[in-house]
Amino acid sequence: MKTINHIISLCLCFLMLQLTSCTPTPENQTKVDSLPPIYPDYCDVTIPQNIAPLNFLLRADCEAIEVKVGKMTINAKGNEAVFDMNDWKELLQQSINQSIEVTISALIDDQWIAYKPFHWQVVTDKIDPYLTYRLIEPDYEIWNNIQIQQRCVENFDVNALGHYEQLENRCMNCHTFANQDPQLSMMYVRGPNGGAILNQKGQLSKLNIPGSVYFGFSPTGRYITYSTQKIIPAFHSDPSKRLEVYDSKSNVYVADMQEHRIFTSPLLSDSLKFETFPTFSPDGKYIYYCAADSVSLPNDIKQLQYRLVRIAFDENTGTIGTQVDTLFNKRSVCHPRISPDGKYILYTVADYGTFPIWHPEADLQMMNLQTGSIDSLTIVNSAKSDTYHAWSSNSHWFVFASKRDDGLYGKPYFCYVDKNGKAHKPFCLPQQHPTFYDNNLKSFNAPEFGKGKVPFDVEDVAKAMKQEAISFK
Amino acid sequence: MNNKKSTYYSLIALTIGAVISWCFFQFWYAYHFFFQEQNQIFLWSRDYISTYCDKPGGLSGLIGDFLTQFYYYLYAGAAIQSLCIWGIGMLLYRALVNFKVGHLAAVLLALFVMAFVSVCHFSTSYHLSSTISILAWTLLLWIASIIRNRKLRFTMLACALLPFYLLFGRPVIKKIQAPDLVLEKDFSVDCEYHFGNYDKVIKMVEGSDKWTDQMVFFYNLAQAQRGELPDHLLKFTPTQLGTFYRIGPETPMLTIRNMNKLYWALGDMTFTERAAMMTNVFSNNNRNIRMIRRLAECNYVSGDSLAAEKYLRILDKTFVYSRWADNIRKNGKSIYQQKMQMVNHHDTISITDNAHFIMMQLLDANPDNTIALDYILCSTLILKDINSFKRDYDRYCMTTNKPRLKPLYQEALCIWLAGTEAPPEEWEKYIKRPDVFKRFQEYNQQRGSTSFKDTYWYYFDKIKAPEI
Repeated sequence: MKTINHIISLCLCFLMLQLTSCTPTPENQTKVDSLPPIYPDYCDVTIPQNIAPLNFLLRADCEAIEVKVGKMTINAKGNEAVFDMNDWKELLQQSINQSIEVTISALIDDQWIAYKPFHWQVVTDKIDPYLTYRLIEPDYEIWNNIQIQQRCVENFDVNALGHYEQLENRCMNCHTFANQDPQLSMMYVRGPNGGAILNQKGQLSKLNIPGSVYFGFSPTGRYITYSTQKIIPAFHSDPSKRLEVYDSKSNVYVADMQEHRIFTSPLLSDSLKFETFPTFSPDGKYIYYCAADSVSLPNDIKQLQYRLVRIAFDENTGTIGTQVDTLFNKRSVCHPRISPDGKYILYTVADYGTFPIWHPEADLQMMNLQTGSIDSLTIVNSAKSDTYHAWSSNSHWFVFASKRDDGLYGKPYFCYVDKNGKAHKPFCLPQQHPTFYDNNLKSFNAPEFGKGKVPFDVEDVAKAMKQEAISFK
Repeated sequence: MNNKKSTYYSLIALTIGAVISWCFFQFWYAYHFFFQEQNQIFLWSRDYISTYCDKPGGLSGLIGDFLTQFYYYLYAGAAIQSLCIWGIGMLLYRALVNFKVGHLAAVLLALFVMAFVSVCHFSTSYHLSSTISILAWTLLLWIASIIRNRKLRFTMLACALLPFYLLFGRPVIKKIQAPDLVLEKDFSVDCEYHFGNYDKVIKMVEGSDKWTDQMVFFYNLAQAQRGELPDHLLKFTPTQLGTFYRIGPETPMLTIRNMNKLYWALGDMTFTERAAMMTNVFSNNNRNIRMIRRLAECNYVSGDSLAAEKYLRILDKTFVYSRWADNIRKNGKSIYQQKMQMVNHHDTISITDNAHFIMMQLLDANPDNTIALDYILCSTLILKDINSFKRDYDRYCMTTNKPRLKPLYQEALCIWLAGTEAPPEEWEKYIKRPDVFKRFQEYNQQRGSTSFKDTYWYYFDKIKAPEI
């Protein structure tokens, strides 16, 4: 009995020592001329004044870490730097339009190492506070436990718009807003009795828009333009290329959400061409999309090259133009998205095909629609796939899914575009726990900005799914 | 005195109950523990642990998953489970006695609950977290029983119910089922193959009086690893190579897992990764430690170090596999040297996961891939597709000048040569084993005789080919 008491006392003492022992602080530092190996890579990035704390970890086997950000200092055991929310907000408010120096020291093998400092440029232009995305395994072929989430990027709050538990483990995808407005949005829930769930000021209705895949709202929200495709998954024998997905057929349509009718033009549904990724221009005068001449698939997939094109559209009369203009035809273009101010069009270019998610060479490009000049966004792109982008409502930020860290799991990255149209180094969506991305086994798919929180939740979506679907003529 | 004696005997009875449970699970059901352990993951990471707070019952889930990872070690699974069951029995017995239930009734009831929980563990979908939850609720009952004051007892229960529910949730009770000893056999060959004990797999299957598809599948895979698949292909009919499976949304998880094993053995990293990801998707909480290991391995082999590191980092946070991850980082090149040579770097695209096509690609890239060669030839032979067999044999054995002189292949070639009325020089070109030729002549005189049961000719004439 005495022995047990001794053991308990020793354990308690050890626990107390652990809890009360001081965090070491730097002394006799050795300076190194390299940036700290932090993850996510937040070195020399431009951030909005309303972003959540950029918590990170140091990829080193260190006993303790000291992080100095402006006047704020964090001393912590281990390799994680986690900021206090209030201190962080205060720091950003005090640093608007300023550059904050970040200095990191780490205790490695009983020696304090002081890394080369880097900077965070805090800009006035806010980022839209909400981000929606789908969480899915990167394979995309089959699914289990899919979720569509909305995350507040100003803090770490997350709420589910679609959750597998309430929605019978169905496939869900593509939650898109009209003008980043949370009062008008749409998402798909697939499977038997599935449909498009339209949110109009929190009122949810189920629509039966046959075959709709990629879509975008017109500025007034009256129309959506969408593509229908027969999607075929294929496999590369070279393991570094993994999966390929292509369309054996695809056309673009317009749906009138008021009169519930669908129409198209022979130019948008040419049987000898593939048309996909339609989106309205912010003034509603054009539909931008991608088009490719049909080739023999899958054998000639490397010849499958999509052009960036546009066709006129009149929102007042609901009529489609008679001429297709080609804007860009080098390599294969995917996912054109126009900035809300109408100045830029952002798109992905890959060597071939229509599924850049698995193409490591897939990069973003930005065209100035006024001058036609193209920015290859060298500072933004990586050696892995960078694609599936969306604009913030003020046209100063865009989000995209990048696989730069491991080539497998897409993560949302935010990029600042300044008033001169210059893109800055992007940064990854911050997480409460710096190890989140290391442990996570789901891809962040199809990220979209929203100006506010959507006025519905997963229970409302589950109820809407039970409604009779509105059919389109 | 009597009371002390009763308590003493009751404790012995409960301990014997727990020991019986341990013996059964250890000696007749041990591979179920490996299945449980490998079909989940537990990470020693704040971020990961915080996910247990999302739902009621987080603490029991946390403790259950934490302990389940140690099922990897021999004897640990049965010991952990039996200790929990013993704890439930003891607490329940003490609580009942405190509530003035007679010793005999209390011990019988406690034994009944212990037996019930043990039976729940027969199901693969029953997790230790449920037993932890039962243990926690029994603990609450025992705490209530030691409070003599009735008012105080009810106050304590009223205060503790919600926190206990939030921490330990509601135990998920399974429908009573008999122990699935057939599944245990399936798990045993799967596990032993996974641990690289190919001889043991072969012994287990050959020593068994009944075989399942899964057992035969692993038997063939183990023989293929020793380069002896064609020598033993016809030992069990119908045989199971796995090359006719297709993966889709309806495919059972165990089949997808088997496909992962098959593709890994064949050397196709694209499909190994695909099957591993899909197994993950259908595992408990979409995580499967065996597949995380495999994802690290296949990315390492295909040269994608960034992707491999993603999975190795996850394994770093486990108690059981962190050393394995370290070893791969340090010695991966020598461990996977042979596999790396098998990787197909010639890119073609296909819309099918037809294994024949995959194996052709692998052999075109590396004609020395004996496992792929045996699987492609054996697959066509199983289907009695002699023309395809001859085509593949010519392509990968004759044109490369590396004839594979296994009796099975020689026997199949005899059928083709006889069927096409080939001239003597053709016979000489293909049939290099006079013993086979002599036996073929004998067989033709006693066609269908059971004394030739071990030959492909008998299979060809008498056994029904699988329908695909």
